Amino acid sequence: MSGRRLPAQTGESLDRGQPLEFRFDGHSYQGFAGDTVASALTAAGVNVVSRSFKYHRPRGLLCCAGHCPNCLVQIGDEPSVRSCKRALEAGMDVQPQNAWPSLDNDLLSLTEAASRFMPVGFYYKTFHRPRLLWPAFEHVLRNAAGLGVIDENTPEGDYDKQYLHADVVVVGGGPAGVSAAVAAVDEGARVLLIDENPELGGHLRYSRPDAVAHARIVDGQQRLLQSGGTILNDTAVVGWYEDHWLSAVRGNRLFKIRAGAVVVASGAFETPSVFAGNDHPGIMLGTAVQRLLHLYGVVPGHRAVVVTANDTGWAVAADLLAAGVNVAAVADERPQLPVGTDIEALQAAGVTLLPGSTIAAARGKSGVEEVTLVAVDGSSGSHVVRCDFVALSTTWVPSAELAYMAGARSCYDDELAEMRLDNLPDGLFLAGRVAGPCSAEQEWLQGARAGAAAAGNTDDLPIAASQDVQATARSSALVAAPDVGGDKRFVCLCEDVTDVDIETAIAEGFDRIELLKRYSTVGMGPCQGRMCGLNGIRLCAQGTGKSVQDTGRTTGRPPVTPVALGVLAGQKMEPVQLSAVHDWHVDQGARMMVAGLWMRPEHYGDAAAEVRAMRQTVGLIDVSPLGKLQLTGPGVAAMLERLYVNNWQDLRRGRVRYGIMCNDEGVVLDDGVCARLSDEQWYVSTTSTGASGALEWMEWWRQSGWGDGVHITDLTETHAAFNLAGPQSRALLQTQTDRDLSNDRFPYMRARRADVAGVPCLLLRIGFTGELGYEIHCPAGYGRYLWQRLIDAGADFGLRPFGVEAQRVLRLEKAHFIVGQDTDALTDPISADAAWAVHLDKDCDFLGRRALTRIATDGPRQRLVGFRTGRRADSLLEGLQIVQSDDRGKPQIIGWVSSCRFSPTLQETIGLCWLPAALAERSEATFHIHVDGRLEPARVHHGPFYDAEGARLRG
Amino acid sequence: MLRLECPNCGVRNTSEFRYGGEQNPRPTPSTEVADADWIRYLYERRNVMGVQIEWWYHRAGCGIWFLVERDRRSNIVARTWRWQPDGAAAAEGSHSP
Amino acid sequence: MSLKLLRQGLGGRPPRMWHDRPLKDHYDVVIIGGGAHGLACAYYLAADHGITNVAVIDKSYIGAGGSGRNTAIIRSNYLTPEGVQFYDASVKLYEGLAQELDFNVMFSQRGHLTLAHNDSSVRTMRRRAEVNKLQGVDSRLVYPDELARICPQLDLSDHPRFPIQAALYHPPGGIIRHDAVVWGYARGADQRGVDIHQYTEVTGIDVANGAVTGVRTTRGNVSAGIVLSATAGWASNVAAMVDLPLPLDTFPLQACVTEPLKPILDVVVVSGSLHVYVSQSDRGELVMGASIDPFTSYSVGGSLDFLEGLAGHVLELFPFLSKARILRQWAGLCEMPPDFSPLMGITPVDNFLIDAGWGTYGFKASPICGKTMAELIATRQTPALLRPFRLSRFAEYDQVGEKGAASVGH
Repeated sequence: MSGRRLPAQTGESLDRGQPLEFRFDGHSYQGFAGDTVASALTAAGVNVVSRSFKYHRPRGLLCCAGHCPNCLVQIGDEPSVRSCKRALEAGMDVQPQNAWPSLDNDLLSLTEAASRFMPVGFYYKTFHRPRLLWPAFEHVLRNAAGLGVIDENTPEGDYDKQYLHADVVVVGGGPAGVSAAVAAVDEGARVLLIDENPELGGHLRYSRPDAVAHARIVDGQQRLLQSGGTILNDTAVVGWYEDHWLSAVRGNRLFKIRAGAVVVASGAFETPSVFAGNDHPGIMLGTAVQRLLHLYGVVPGHRAVVVTANDTGWAVAADLLAAGVNVAAVADERPQLPVGTDIEALQAAGVTLLPGSTIAAARGKSGVEEVTLVAVDGSSGSHVVRCDFVALSTTWVPSAELAYMAGARSCYDDELAEMRLDNLPDGLFLAGRVAGPCSAEQEWLQGARAGAAAAGNTDDLPIAASQDVQATARSSALVAAPDVGGDKRFVCLCEDVTDVDIETAIAEGFDRIELLKRYSTVGMGPCQGRMCGLNGIRLCAQGTGKSVQDTGRTTGRPPVTPVALGVLAGQKMEPVQLSAVHDWHVDQGARMMVAGLWMRPEHYGDAAAEVRAMRQTVGLIDVSPLGKLQLTGPGVAAMLERLYVNNWQDLRRGRVRYGIMCNDEGVVLDDGVCARLSDEQWYVSTTSTGASGALEWMEWWRQSGWGDGVHITDLTETHAAFNLAGPQSRALLQTQTDRDLSNDRFPYMRARRADVAGVPCLLLRIGFTGELGYEIHCPAGYGRYLWQRLIDAGADFGLRPFGVEAQRVLRLEKAHFIVGQDTDALTDPISADAAWAVHLDKDCDFLGRRALTRIATDGPRQRLVGFRTGRRADSLLEGLQIVQSDDRGKPQIIGWVSSCRFSPTLQETIGLCWLPAALAERSEATFHIHVDGRLEPARVHHGPFYDAEGARLRG
Repeated sequence: MLRLECPNCGVRNTSEFRYGGEQNPRPTPSTEVADADWIRYLYERRNVMGVQIEWWYHRAGCGIWFLVERDRRSNIVARTWRWQPDGAAAAEGSHSP
Repeated sequence: MSLKLLRQGLGGRPPRMWHDRPLKDHYDVVIIGGGAHGLACAYYLAADHGITNVAVIDKSYIGAGGSGRNTAIIRSNYLTPEGVQFYDASVKLYEGLAQELDFNVMFSQRGHLTLAHNDSSVRTMRRRAEVNKLQGVDSRLVYPDELARICPQLDLSDHPRFPIQAALYHPPGGIIRHDAVVWGYARGADQRGVDIHQYTEVTGIDVANGAVTGVRTTRGNVSAGIVLSATAGWASNVAAMVDLPLPLDTFPLQACVTEPLKPILDVVVVSGSLHVYVSQSDRGELVMGASIDPFTSYSVGGSLDFLEGLAGHVLELFPFLSKARILRQWAGLCEMPPDFSPLMGITPVDNFLIDAGWGTYGFKASPICGKTMAELIATRQTPALLRPFRLSRFAEYDQVGEKGAASVGH
């Protein structure tokens, strides 16, 4: 069937000189540039666009406004595209969803035959016996559910984000919105006007052309732009968040908008009414028909029935008549026909006009073929009218989602049969149809007042009362049409929920709107209750005998319309921190690993060789991620004394000490070394991953009473740090500095400033790895240079760079714990075998004192202790559990392995583990580690595994 | 989205800040405080459904720890201020962030 | 097909699942909070112990709190032996729950993956797997080759910021229809004589001589032998009615769903480093969530930050999902205890019991918590499974070490 495309219409969006070919469900069609996919399909005579969620019933266009589920299609790899909003492009491959093998012959439409045995919530009442069959049933259910298809080859795509700031954001570019924007900009505000359509005008775009109104929009647009306002077209505002923080989407871009005030001028939309067969393709909303007609020059059929409860339906009918469509009948729910030119034109054309009537049933095969019109009060007989489409103009719902998100309350106006809003939050204003029915002139006036108020003008601008238009704009008072039997009466099209389902659910006890929604799934589909919300509430009220107001409504949640993950994510920006030497590591083929925010070399190919080189000659590791803090002032020692469990007042200038920081639970937060460079200048290092947390912790105590005379400067990112360690480290380093590095002048646990290769450095002679070594700290800008100099100079000394893996082995050979690996969120230093660092006899009330005093008195329950195996045991891994057999021979967990490595130095597997204190105290005691059901023996070891006396460190 | 007024930097996005918990002064000297008061300090929280005075840290800004009076039902902030040793909020430190 | 559906299909009217009854003057047990926990406790009080003079009181509709806002993930692969035993018992009850309640709660044991993106997570996952195995829970560490078979959709290449090194695989874990659990317990309790009072708010709790004697509600006062607060999220406020401070802080936890999609993801995927978890419901929606919000609040308005962060992290794992659309976001309230383990059982106030501190791990404990709390009420003895979670553990410095594994605890 052809001939649905009309001659060019005034104000249409088409470029008829540019035809576009596209495919739908395997067939080729043609539309025009400016068409939406849906308008082109309608023009091409396609009535059925999708299949429904549960019963797989054929569905056609309903709202043409991007709300309802009926026009959802798959376009290429994009699922659930609202085809009524998507601009047609040449070569588009459009596929129907939820239909197999084809849209016309969908196998699962057979499910409807069994629908009487699939009432609301049926899946809760079956499939669970026998229990073993549920997975099979579930498999079938899962495959039947879902709409769109995700293509696993979908490319990541290009998405971005933009921040916008405005004093006043106006949402909606109809008359009220344009008026509000102009008024606000006239008040001197920075204004952003956002509209979801390609052009401003709102409902004027698709209602009967009105040159005067159109000119007013154009004029307003010009004034706005001339005054520095901004207009965003094709942009949907999808979320309101606290403090007027808005999210909006245009194409692949997410706008994040900081608004001083918001004017919601987003209008209202129509929803369908409840009658038998109300989902047949061809049954659509009046505004949908108007959009097709005026924007795309398309009529959805040739013989129409119009059903209305207010004057909008008459305009639709008159427009159709003027477009040459045969209007078979107009039914108006109101007992008296209104007076007006539209009605006169229809009367003149001999159209059957039925006051006090409405639609009760529709019938047809793949689309509506005839309808039954009945008297609302059941007084007279019914009319069966043949038609190929129906326009429903019965019920209006304010597009108030943003206002609801912002905390506005709904109150049901029984006279209007419509939701109104009150309790608007500060800075949020309504204008136009969203606030209730209003005349054309009132839209402009309301807009002006809201715009001025949003811009801070609190004068009470005059505004005409809206009572006079209510009679012509009221929505249908019918909760559902009179029941004449026949087909299902759908309430929720997304989920195929009928009025019987609602009644049944209420009877089963789901008699509160929130429960009703969750059980019947009414409103949970792609339209998020836009099409069914009001009907659902009114049916719930009817079923429970409550008022609509008392029934309430379900909570509106963002987003207003669905938003793609890609848009929300934007560009991929996962930050990493790179040391000054990063490129060198990569060039050398280092295997890089993620360590907190940092990328670090795990090894350069052979971690064991790196360990051996360090022990035998010299090694160099990049430890730039270490937290590096400079503390200055007369109060530093006193503050450290309170923050760390160690003593600090007695640390002399030029000395370094290892410290542990605990909280008041006695839990180890961080550790590192502190160097006293002068009386009032300290240099503190923290763990790499704990650096920012340690700084924030120290700053908190500093700024809340303990920091008199202390200043903290964070050097973590501004300074690079390397650890040069091994028997040859002194000799090597001496080639690069004039500072005397001899053991006498620069002994173990001392700090010295020195120029190394001409670079100003701080040298700390410390030994995490257990060998003679120097931690070299320098400004990061010199880091790459200094590293290279050390590498070059090291060639003569057998220098080998080493990575994190070798460092882990080296520190394990010295039995040093790592905070966060060997300790967790409940570990205290006494249990962690560091009681030597805890000075309970300190003068000050340091953090953790009370807890550690208790633990020291009671003794720890579990203790961290070393273990050795006397063999290479590669099956022993970190995280394995230590067990003991109970009376019945069942293994009981008594501890676990927190660190474990094969030591190339000792040629055996060693580790650290948590054991019951009594067992941990017994050196050489044997215990068992559970590995894949086997028990591997290990022995308790106290102290470092390597160079227990520390001679190598001090030499 | 909640905004906070940093005493140094002015009104900034919450994402620049780190929440530091309800104000909870540390009883001192810790070793002489009654058990119940110590447990209260360490673990128990008012967790009030209403106005709370709490710590925030300007992590992506000037690094100040400051106090905020916020209604936890609405997230509306009544005021923010710098901690003062002699002010009403003074204490020998407050609870750990 | 079930007989019930057959009868209903042939015109029979389905029975009411629960009833609105008048508030009595006295109940042996008053349970504050009509979520899965409170209703389960009421159900087991009646079913296991014959205690039926029980009221479940909720200020809103049943399941309005955490029970209806969680992401319906069930698992028992915890870190501590206490946690594993408790949740394992819960999973076992869930496995038979549809039959026990004769209500299909759609427990779908699709398997649960917790991804490890760095060596310290691998270590933690191994630790959990080992503890699980020794407690008889099916849980193991899997590496990318096997991961590719279990969840071929994951981006296992080494280019992402967070490359996947291994995962903790827990085959019995899965998802469930959370509302159905609430309704099933409500129906079972109602059938056994329990009164369910919706939209009834407790405004005060009466205490005499250190013991609770009753509750005051917006519909009248009730005397009570025992009062149980099962109001996770608001427990501090209920406990404040008896002047009992709790070691809790309440945070919003946000989640969202996509539009329904044809099956694309079988298993539940969780990443602690990325603060994200994803599963696909039987309806076809991808159900996704993150970790708790960065600051405490009782506001459940949700944030854009959450959606943006979550979307980025989901695409890190599944880059091809960029065109899937978020349909709805929401938030619930989580009260976090210091050691990330619940608070259950007796309190210093006689006859006042708590079932609180459920952080992000409450829904999955509903059956076992209800059953053991019912046993506690009936026998006046704390069951062994509950002992580690007693409120007094803080004063006794005997916390449960679940925090070690918890970054995203779903």
